[in-house]
Amino acid sequence: MQAFNPTAPARDALEAGLVFEDLHQSLYRNLAARADLEPGSQQLLVGGVGSGKTTELLLAEQWLRKQGNGLTFFYDISQETDLSSLNSGALLARFGIGLDWIVLNLGSLSRADSQAEKLGEFSREIMEFAFGKRVRRDLTSIDDRPKSIYELARDEVESHFLTENVPGKLNPPLPPLNRDIQEVRAPLEEFLAIARKAHRDVVVVFDGLDRLLDATKFWSVVHQDLRLLREMKVSVLATAPLSVLFGAGVGQSISDHFDRVHHLSVIASDPENASLRSVLDKRRGSELLTMQEADAICHFSGGVLRDLISLARDAAEEAYVSDHDSITAADVEKVVHQLGTGYLRGLGPEATKTLLKLQSSKSFKVDVPANVELLLTRRVLEYSSTDFRVHPALLSVIPRTEQKRV
Amino acid sequence: MSEFSTEPFFEIARRLEIRGETGWVAVLTPATDSSASLDQLQTELQSVLQKPARVIQLETSTFEELREALHQPDGDAVILSGGTGLTLEKWRSLDIMRSALERKGPVILWLSPGDVAHLIEHAPNIRSFIGGSIFLAGPDRGIMTETERQERLKELSQHFGFSGAEAVRKAQARELPHEPEFVEWLVLLGRGDLL
Repeated sequence: MQAFNPTAPARDALEAGLVFEDLHQSLYRNLAARADLEPGSQQLLVGGVGSGKTTELLLAEQWLRKQGNGLTFFYDISQETDLSSLNSGALLARFGIGLDWIVLNLGSLSRADSQAEKLGEFSREIMEFAFGKRVRRDLTSIDDRPKSIYELARDEVESHFLTENVPGKLNPPLPPLNRDIQEVRAPLEEFLAIARKAHRDVVVVFDGLDRLLDATKFWSVVHQDLRLLREMKVSVLATAPLSVLFGAGVGQSISDHFDRVHHLSVIASDPENASLRSVLDKRRGSELLTMQEADAICHFSGGVLRDLISLARDAAEEAYVSDHDSITAADVEKVVHQLGTGYLRGLGPEATKTLLKLQSSKSFKVDVPANVELLLTRRVLEYSSTDFRVHPALLSVIPRTEQKRV
Repeated sequence: MSEFSTEPFFEIARRLEIRGETGWVAVLTPATDSSASLDQLQTELQSVLQKPARVIQLETSTFEELREALHQPDGDAVILSGGTGLTLEKWRSLDIMRSALERKGPVILWLSPGDVAHLIEHAPNIRSFIGGSIFLAGPDRGIMTETERQERLKELSQHFGFSGAEAVRKAQARELPHEPEFVEWLVLLGRGDLL
């Protein structure tokens, strides 16, 4: 049972040997190899909730560490900061703190006193960038109190000038780097130069950015933080929300900004594809489930990995509390019903109609915001860019009368 | 309309016990006596899991407060109460901080029916952790007829190979393991005080 814990940290599952590594055709190797071979490359991993993004990133991190010569950082940024108020610079701040720690603990480096002093100063700048600072200002020498529009007008009349903004004709393709982002560049570059004496390449993995369901904040860190990291030749692997992939007019811009965008599609539980069974087998699912029940669980999971593991765990739990000697078809049916009911709750009539239309005609428009919501909530699953299906557990509980009506 | 499974608090606690660490469930608050029910759930969790259970109000907790409360300590059971209802903004904010909510001990979301809909609609990352573990707070199956009680006592006695009196003696001598069946046995014998 412990092997089927859908909420266990991915790192724990990996260390316990419960992960089937070839699930996505060894995607992690591609991610890691490119990050290793192309310093400054930026790759994005996009996938729905519970699709196994963190596991792929951890496998990539593990692969990079095994290569020996690189320096790899892994941050789940949603654990580090409140993403609902995420500021540009937050990724650089986290990376800077990690880099600072590594460099200052490089025992093999012998530094002259003057260099140590300089590094201490840079270290302070990074900490202030991350955590802020208190600044004392002499209020007697400056008049920076807020002024009313009348006072501003009077100042301008008295000094005989007027301030106007004259927009240029050549608008920059990207917003300029913020001043504070530019200021942290020097300390980061200094630390990177030292780190690179001991490590060939530097790679940073940012997990958790997929939580930003509103893509605006995601783009603000792309335009600032990731841009500076690229200029400093630091390779980046990051997750992103599905909303950057689907929706009107977003496809082009994402491929402009990243060297590679990997879409972690849902794995179909077709008879010829035994990948989902391998996930269960890796966790010794065959000791709990008959082949028939395992197949049913694979099917009703829709290929969502976390749902797959949850269903297996819940079926075993159901059998236990019902005093069954082994997992029965009724146990599986009950937990599928529970999962489907969860997806059904809160679903409006329009959304239900969309789902049933998708089921009957296979048509689904990904540029409609309401449909993107169905993807984000996993009621609709994306098996490829042209293959969308209703989550099978949800489909099993949509009332029959509704299904007939369409 | 499809409904969630109805489970008494004892069964919900038992499910969490079977799962071991890091179990997540959501429980729909009953329409009446919500506060008394919350107390009852807390007591059952403490009794079955043999660890403290705390209630944390979601509405009034900031990101930092919640993260600290969940990790200091991080092994006890925590009931995250949605109170009378959370704003959509709060749900979105909770969802994007899901990683910061991850902890060793079990997490129980105590939610009104409206909030369960919001959880599913606006917090897909938390919903993914809950999976199908959404339960309606149901009547305690402990309220059974005398005949049912006697039958169950007989079953337990036959299964473990000793009498109810012996179970009480072992509990007094602290020789009875903290298994759910023994908890149930003592409660049915009217000796819940020995837990």
